[in-house]
Amino acid sequence: MIAEEPRVDATRVTELAQSLETELARLIVGQKALLRDTVIALTAGGHVLLEGVPGLGKTVLVRSLGQTLSMSFSRIQFTPDLMPADIVGTNIIGDTDGRREFHYQAGPIFANLVLADEINRATPKTQSALLEAMQERTVTVGTQTRPLPSPFFVLATQNPIELEGTYPLPEAQLDRFFFKILVPFPSEGDLLEIARRTTGDSTPQLKSVADAGAILTAQRTAREVPIAEHVLRYAARLVSATHPDRSELDSVRRYVRWGASPRGLQTLVLAGKVRALLEGRYNVAFDDLNSVAQPALRHRIFLQFEAEADGITADRIISEILEHTAKEPASK
Amino acid sequence: MSSLEAILRELRRAARRALGARYAAHAVVGAVAWVAAVMILVRLVPFERRAELAVLGIPVALAIAAAAWLMRRPSAALLMAMADIRLGLKERLSTAWERRAESGPLDDAQRHDAVQHAARASLPAAFPVRVNRGEATLVAILAIFALALALLPNPMDQVLAQRQADRVSQARAAKAVADAKKKIADSGKPSPKDAQIQKILQDAQAKIHEADSPRKALESITPAEQQLQKLADPGTPALQSSAQNLANALSGTAAGRSAAQAISTNPAKGAQSVRDLASQLQSLSPKDREELAKALAKASQQAQNSQMRDSLSKASSSLQSGDAASAAQALNDVASQLDSLQEQENTDQAVAAAINGLEAARQGLAAQADRDANGQGGQANAGVSPSAGASGNGNGNGTGTGTGNGNGSGGTGSNGSGTGSGSGAASTERIYVPGQPVPGQSENDPTPLGPGQDVPLSPYTQVIEAYQQAALDATDQSLIPGSERDLVREYFSQLGEPRAAK
Repeated sequence: MIAEEPRVDATRVTELAQSLETELARLIVGQKALLRDTVIALTAGGHVLLEGVPGLGKTVLVRSLGQTLSMSFSRIQFTPDLMPADIVGTNIIGDTDGRREFHYQAGPIFANLVLADEINRATPKTQSALLEAMQERTVTVGTQTRPLPSPFFVLATQNPIELEGTYPLPEAQLDRFFFKILVPFPSEGDLLEIARRTTGDSTPQLKSVADAGAILTAQRTAREVPIAEHVLRYAARLVSATHPDRSELDSVRRYVRWGASPRGLQTLVLAGKVRALLEGRYNVAFDDLNSVAQPALRHRIFLQFEAEADGITADRIISEILEHTAKEPASK
Repeated sequence: MSSLEAILRELRRAARRALGARYAAHAVVGAVAWVAAVMILVRLVPFERRAELAVLGIPVALAIAAAAWLMRRPSAALLMAMADIRLGLKERLSTAWERRAESGPLDDAQRHDAVQHAARASLPAAFPVRVNRGEATLVAILAIFALALALLPNPMDQVLAQRQADRVSQARAAKAVADAKKKIADSGKPSPKDAQIQKILQDAQAKIHEADSPRKALESITPAEQQLQKLADPGTPALQSSAQNLANALSGTAAGRSAAQAISTNPAKGAQSVRDLASQLQSLSPKDREELAKALAKASQQAQNSQMRDSLSKASSSLQSGDAASAAQALNDVASQLDSLQEQENTDQAVAAAINGLEAARQGLAAQADRDANGQGGQANAGVSPSAGASGNGNGNGTGTGTGNGNGSGGTGSNGSGTGSGSGAASTERIYVPGQPVPGQSENDPTPLGPGQDVPLSPYTQVIEAYQQAALDATDQSLIPGSERDLVREYFSQLGEPRAAK
C-alpha cells in the first residue's frame, strides 16, 4: 500500500482551476471549452490567441479573468497607428532635481495579465514588439533590458471576418501562442441566459480566487506530472502526422503546406499535463492529448490554397489525424 | 510496488486465459479448415488414407496453437497499457508501471492513484475469455462444407477401388508364384537347376509385387518364362523317346522284361534295372543273349538320341560277338543316360511347375488389367474375390511330360496326364486341364488356374478342345497382341493335325 503523501499538492491546482472556471462561469455564459482551454493555458504559462466574431465575449472573458486573479491587468487596443513604444514603453525627458534626463516610462505590457485586443489591426512592426515580449518575457528599450512581471499572460483577440485593413499574424509569430482558441457563437439557451444576466439592473461581481503566487505554483506543479513513454510517443506521432511529407493521410499530403513545429509538441504535452491535473489525475492520458490537440495545433498547421478553396480547415485535418493515429500500447 | 505486482499477476493470469481461449479457437479454425482442405484434396487426387490425413490436422493444429500460446508472453508494460485502454484507466497503470522506480514529486501520488483505480476495476475484464463471432461463424461454415464433401459421392472412390483391386490382384499373382516355388521345393525330385528356377521365380515375385499396376506386373512375367524355358534341355524328348523305345524293345525279351517295366515306370528305376541286367549278362543263356542283342539292336535303330543309339548299338554288337564284358559296359552307359534322363525330367517338371505358376499369375493380372482398361477395376474386384476363392477346389495344372513313341500314338505318362506330341518342343509345353466344375459352373466356363491345386487328371485327347476354347477365350479377353493370339490359334491348329491323322 502506498501511503506516502505527494510532495507537491496537485489537488490545490485542481481546486484552483475549478475555482477559476466556476467564478468565470458566473459571468461567461456557456463556453465551457473556452473557459477550460483558457485556464489550461494560464496554468501552463502560455499565451492565448482568441479568435471569434465581435460580440462573443472575448474581451469580457479576459477582463473577467483579470478580476478573478489578484494580478495586474492591462488592456491594449491594437490599431493601425499603434506604435511599439505604445506597448513596451519609451524613454522620455523628465526633470529630476533640476536636471533634465531620460526616464523610462513603462508601457501597458508591464502587467501580469495583458489583453491585446484585435491584435491583427496593428502593423507588423507593433505586433512584432508584442510577440517578442511574449516569447522573451523581457522588454528592451534603448540599451536596457527589463523583465516583465511573472506570471505574464497575454490574451490576444482577433476578428476573422473583418480582414480589410488588417495585418494577419505571420506563421512564426502565431507559433508563439500556446493556444489558439476559437470562440463559438452561443447556443440559443446560452443567448437567453446572456440576455437575462446582462440586461438587468445589476451584473455579477467576480471575486478574486487566486494570486500570482498560486498561479506560479500551479505552473511548476503542472510540469511535474508524469507522462508514460508510449503516451509521449503518441504525442510525437500526432505532431509528425501534421507534416505532409511524413503523414500517411491523403488530406494532410494534399492540403497541408507546413506542419506543426516542435513547439507544437511541447504545447501538446504541457497542456496535456495541465488537463490531467484539472481532471484530478496524476498522469497524462491519451484523452488529455486528444482534448488539447485542436487549440494546440490549429494555428501551427498551415494549409495550401487548395484547402481554402475546398473549405478544409485545420481543425478538420487535426480531427482526421486524431482519428487515424494509433494509440499503440507500450511494446516492452 | 507490491500492489502493482499483484495487479500485474492478476492481469497476466487473465491474459493467459484469454489468450488460451483465443488460440484454442484458432486451433479449431485451423483443424476444421484442414479437414475441409483434405476433403477438397481427396476429390481432386486419389488418396487412400483420407481419414487419417484429415484427423492428423487436428492434433497438429492444437499443438501449433498450444506452442504459440506457450511462447507468447505479453510484456508487463503491454499488459498494463492494454488494461488501461480496456478498463478506461486513462493510462494510469502503464504510467505507474513505467515509473515504478521513479521518485518524482508526483510519482508516489500517481502510483497511489493507479492502484486505487485498479482496485475499483475488475481486472480480469481487461482480458475476457470470449469466442470471436467471426471465428465461430467460420468454423460452422467450414464444418458444414467439410461434412457435405464427406457425404457427397467422391469421384476418386472408383480410382481408389481400382487401385485396391490392382493391389489384390498383384498380391494374388505374387502368391501364385510363391506357391509355385513352394511346390517345386516340396516336390521331392530335386534337379540341379532348382536353385536357378527358385531365383527366377523369386525375382518375378518381387517384380510383380513392386509393379505400379497389373499391366506393369505382366511385363515381368514373359521374361521370367523365357529364362525358365532356357533351363529346359531340348534333348530331353529325344532321350525320352529313345528310353521308351528301349523299354518297348526289352519288353519282348525274357531277360529284359523287368528292365522294360522299370524304364517305363521311371528312368531312375530303369537305370538300376539296366545295371542289374548288365551284371547278369554272363549268366544269360545264349538264346537269351541273342534275343537281347536283337532287342537292343532294334532299340538302337529307333533311338533318336545319338549317345543312346551308340551305346545300344555297341551293347548289341558285343552281345552278338560274345563279348559280355563290353556289352555290360555299354549297358552301364545306357544306365547312365537313363539317370541323366531322370535329372532332365525333374528339371523339366520344375520348369513346367514354375511356368504354370507364372501363367496363373499372368491370368489374374491380365483379367485385372482388362478391368482397369475398361474402367471397372474397382467394381470387378468385388466379384473376383469370391470366385477366386471358389476356384481353389476346381482348378489345377495337369502338367505332364509324358513319354511317347514319337508318332503320337500315346504312351503311359509317368507324371500327369500329358503325352508326348511327337514334336521336339513338346517337352516344355504346358497343357492346362480345366478341373471339375464347381456347383453352378458349367464346363465351358474358363476358370483361372491356381498353382498347387491338385485335380483329377484327364487324358489329353479328352480335354484339348475345352482347353483350346478356354485359351482362345482368354486371349480374346486379355491384353495380348494380335500376333500372339495368332500364335495361340496356330498352336492349337497344329495340335489338331495329329488328332485328325489319328
